[in-house]
Amino acid sequence: MLRRRVLLCLVVLAAVPLATGLPAASRTEAAAARTTLTIGVDQEVVGLDPNKVTAFSSFRRIDLLYNKLVTYDAGLRIVGDLAESWDNPDARTYVFHLRKGVRFHDGAELTSDDVVFTIQRILEPKTASPGRSYLEPVDSVTATDRYTVRLHLKYPLASLLSGLASGNAAIVEKAAVLKSGDLQKTEAGTGPFMLAEWVPDNFMRLARNPRYFKRGLPKVDEVVFRVIPEQASLLAGVRARSLDMATISDGSVVKQALADRALVVAQAPSLNLRIFSFNTTRPPFTDARVRDAIAYAIDRQAIVNAAEFGLGVVSGPIPAPDKVWALPTSEFPEYHPDPAKARQMLQEAGAAGASFRIVASPTYEGGLAVAQVIQSQLQAVGLRPTIENIEWGTYINRWVKRDFDTMVELRGGDPDPDRFLYRTFYSTGAVNNFLFKDPAIDRLLDRGRVHLTVAERRPIYHELEKALVRAAPAVFLYTPMETQVLQRYVTGFRVIPTGALTYLEQTSIQR
Amino acid sequence: MTAGRHAAAIQRPDRLPGHARAARPVTLGVRVARAPVALAGAVIVAAYVLAAVLAPVLAPADPLRMAPQALLAPPGGGHPFGTDQFGRDVLSRLVFGSRTSLVVSFASTALALGAGGAAGILAGYCGGMLDDAVMRAMDVIFAFPAVLLAIAIMAVAGTAPATIVLAIGLVYTPQFARVGRASVLQVRGLEYVEAARALGGGGRRILTRHILPNIAAPLIVQTSLSLSLAILTESALSFLGLGTQPPTPSWGNMLAESRRFMVTAPWTAVFPGAAIALIVLGFNLLGDGLRDLLDPRLRL
Amino acid sequence: MTAFLVSRLATLLPVLWGVSIVVFLLIHLLPGNAIQLFLGTQVEMTPAQMDELRRLFGLAKPLPLQYVDWLGRVLRGDFGVSLRTSRPILPDILARLPVSVEITVLALAVALAIALPVGIVAALRRGSVADAVIRIAGLVGLSVPNFWLAAMLLLLLSNVTPVASIGIYVGLLRNPVENLTVMALPALSLGVALAAIIMRFVRSSLLEVLGQEYVRTARSKGLREPLVIGRHALRNALIPVITVVGFQAGYLLGGTVVIEEVFALPGMGRFALNAIAQRDYPVVQGVVLVIACLFVLANLAVDVLYALVDPRVRYG
Repeated sequence: MLRRRVLLCLVVLAAVPLATGLPAASRTEAAAARTTLTIGVDQEVVGLDPNKVTAFSSFRRIDLLYNKLVTYDAGLRIVGDLAESWDNPDARTYVFHLRKGVRFHDGAELTSDDVVFTIQRILEPKTASPGRSYLEPVDSVTATDRYTVRLHLKYPLASLLSGLASGNAAIVEKAAVLKSGDLQKTEAGTGPFMLAEWVPDNFMRLARNPRYFKRGLPKVDEVVFRVIPEQASLLAGVRARSLDMATISDGSVVKQALADRALVVAQAPSLNLRIFSFNTTRPPFTDARVRDAIAYAIDRQAIVNAAEFGLGVVSGPIPAPDKVWALPTSEFPEYHPDPAKARQMLQEAGAAGASFRIVASPTYEGGLAVAQVIQSQLQAVGLRPTIENIEWGTYINRWVKRDFDTMVELRGGDPDPDRFLYRTFYSTGAVNNFLFKDPAIDRLLDRGRVHLTVAERRPIYHELEKALVRAAPAVFLYTPMETQVLQRYVTGFRVIPTGALTYLEQTSIQR
Repeated sequence: MTAGRHAAAIQRPDRLPGHARAARPVTLGVRVARAPVALAGAVIVAAYVLAAVLAPVLAPADPLRMAPQALLAPPGGGHPFGTDQFGRDVLSRLVFGSRTSLVVSFASTALALGAGGAAGILAGYCGGMLDDAVMRAMDVIFAFPAVLLAIAIMAVAGTAPATIVLAIGLVYTPQFARVGRASVLQVRGLEYVEAARALGGGGRRILTRHILPNIAAPLIVQTSLSLSLAILTESALSFLGLGTQPPTPSWGNMLAESRRFMVTAPWTAVFPGAAIALIVLGFNLLGDGLRDLLDPRLRL
Repeated sequence: MTAFLVSRLATLLPVLWGVSIVVFLLIHLLPGNAIQLFLGTQVEMTPAQMDELRRLFGLAKPLPLQYVDWLGRVLRGDFGVSLRTSRPILPDILARLPVSVEITVLALAVALAIALPVGIVAALRRGSVADAVIRIAGLVGLSVPNFWLAAMLLLLLSNVTPVASIGIYVGLLRNPVENLTVMALPALSLGVALAAIIMRFVRSSLLEVLGQEYVRTARSKGLREPLVIGRHALRNALIPVITVVGFQAGYLLGGTVVIEEVFALPGMGRFALNAIAQRDYPVVQGVVLVIACLFVLANLAVDVLYALVDPRVRYG
């Protein structure tokens, strides 16, 4: 009797919460007939509003839900997306001719009205869109007819198309935004997949868009994103076949995948850039000689070997895979590590034995492993750095306040050098948190953005790269690999340097 | 309400050892000889403390020195326990790591024992409003999810060793308060304490002469458990990236790092794991043994 | 009984109020704020724009006022919306609650399934080789961090069994088989260390009871040994074990963060962990308050059970 009562209490205690909040359906009942591609990623999206988000994780879903006017192909060339073609009547005017018959996920047709609305939404300060800085010179945007949009600029900007190819410039449906106000929890796009179900921190199910404007695509019926924060667990998920593919950033885990013959590892160097930043207003880093000395003291390949298990490409200020613009690193004298020379330069600058802090964070972006190798290399030339390993929220706080001596960072690059370098190194640049000011470099950055042809711009950027390496507001280190681990039966997927999962629309399962 | 508290008092496991059988008077020597368990524990703990103190002598290499040519080198040659991701000598890091881990373990437990034990004993002894106030405050800490509390403290105050000690110590404080209070409540009602009181013994005298010696046993068991759990908690914080600051080694951060190399470089995981297992064994053997020695029911 | 319950419930309120203050202060003491983290390292804003955002996020008022506002709304059942995702918080908590509760219950079940038989054997064969082996195994179990055990199990088993497959969490009532497949390894990883702790209690508690008179009386009456152990000794020995289990249940409810990370379970710990990193104040506050609530309720349940089981305890 007594025992039964005890048991009953326990059962009730256990059952009540279990019965209350049931998460929605997972794999659907009809899964057998449909082809589902399950992909593991390590971070949940922060929101889905393309014009507002800043997180890498969000962009990777937005790429599948939306389209932009133009986009980058695997060779990092600008190609039409929603715009079939465009022309420049003059350097300050762009006319985009939209594809006809493109439909939003709710069935409404995409028109120039939606494009104008989106661009105005990005430019509106209240939206707080990161895309606003990419489109800054836009003076007016008008719909000349149902399928034509005209952009007029205050001054020419070479990277305008690159800005329009950014996920932040994805075209949203005007009516949907006016109705719901915000697209963080929902979507109103034209992309290959439609949001079907989202249980945060568990999974997100995207269904094939049957009206997608590219005929016959996408090839799978649905894509399921699984958020698995532990890198080793991602690999375990693939090995156990509960994931068809997984995005893995940890080099040691990728190495394990490479050793597993049942799996395919697809890799490409990314456009992200690992840098070691200086606060150029704090001694001894006010002295360019000290920064340059440190650039000589650092062995970049050794960092890639230890921190990334060899999976990365040493790079200058322009990410190495961006071959149109990037100089080979052999062109930079600082890329031949020379501790003796570094010691001597530090001596001359009166900074021998200087103590300072390296801010890092245990997240991948925070580069804690990189900081440890740098610390060891700088100790070898007599400096006395200590590592300040802080939690991610605190790290961002210090970044925003420019409260650091030095810092290990991962910067998101861009195929067009203007978009990455201008806001990063211009003396008034939005993300110049080195507080770096160099009139000569400002002049080069200004010149690089007003010319529109590669032939005119290339020599400018080559000169700029050398100047940046020497002036060293940061030591440029390497670009990590974008890595996807796939089952053998997953075909048609390609890794591209921007990290976008564009090729998921081409991907199919061939068992 | 009193019943609930009473329940809490009775449940304490620490006074449960099976020594209720009638005991004969025994000398200390006999008792130590009968407690090889405590002796074994003491030897293990002493060896670890010695290793920590003598780390610079014992460690074959500089624990922070990186060797770019020998990343994740297997055991053998110059590195008896192999090297880690950065080519650092695992044995040396293990030896030096004992300093961090033992200091965190001892200091945070001392903090929890000092603060929690004192609060609990006072609450139990004085009763009334003070008891209520102290124990409600402890309940607040107790009810706060422990790992999240530690994370928040680390995020507010940074990852200095003192913060780790504070965070872990605070998490274990209410447990000591409960053990302390429950033990006091239990002995307070016993005949000899009542007798001392009836004889006009002062509060302080009763507390120090009669109560404290009798609650030592449960506190010792709680202490040995807490010493072990502190090492594991530091390791969990390292897993979340908030443990001991790199490059300083601790067993916890070595183990947390190693989870990514378990296949490719098992030596990075096995040795710190074994080090932790052995010291946990040592702490608990010592704790159990001491309890057997000190349990008043054995001394009758 | 009712009076007992009411008085016990009354003592819970100050505790929960204290928790609400501590969590509010602590999270607002963290360096950085939700807006900075929302904008990340890509966007730069003017001070005026920041102020505007601050107002939108409800962070412009003085802290005490923010606290009173928040508490007032929570008392009316409104946990607010996430600063980060603008999703309402309460439904998200309720969706994660079953995950945390289930893993807690399963981990305890695993722990008890190991600890009870093993602890009983150790107590009955006190001083034997089996006892020594069990005690040492218990201490080893205690010394393995659960994340490490979890990673090891995943690694070793991921090619062998679908149980080690990081499946999608499905509600227990919706699909019990799939649910238990997903939850098996997490429960095992958490349960082992717990089993070690509980086993110690079972052993020592049973030893004490076995030494007591009524057991000797029962034996001398000529009752068969299994009956003595089963009916008399064990039942009494389990009393303290219930309390330990209750404590551990409360501790586990908020303590499964690490396991949720390893197995990608959508529980409350991960919800709170991410919210701390993002300075999503109302989410952290809400989750901590709910966990604290469960914790004190679990403790209350233990007290009640205890009062039911143990004749020595009377409702005051």
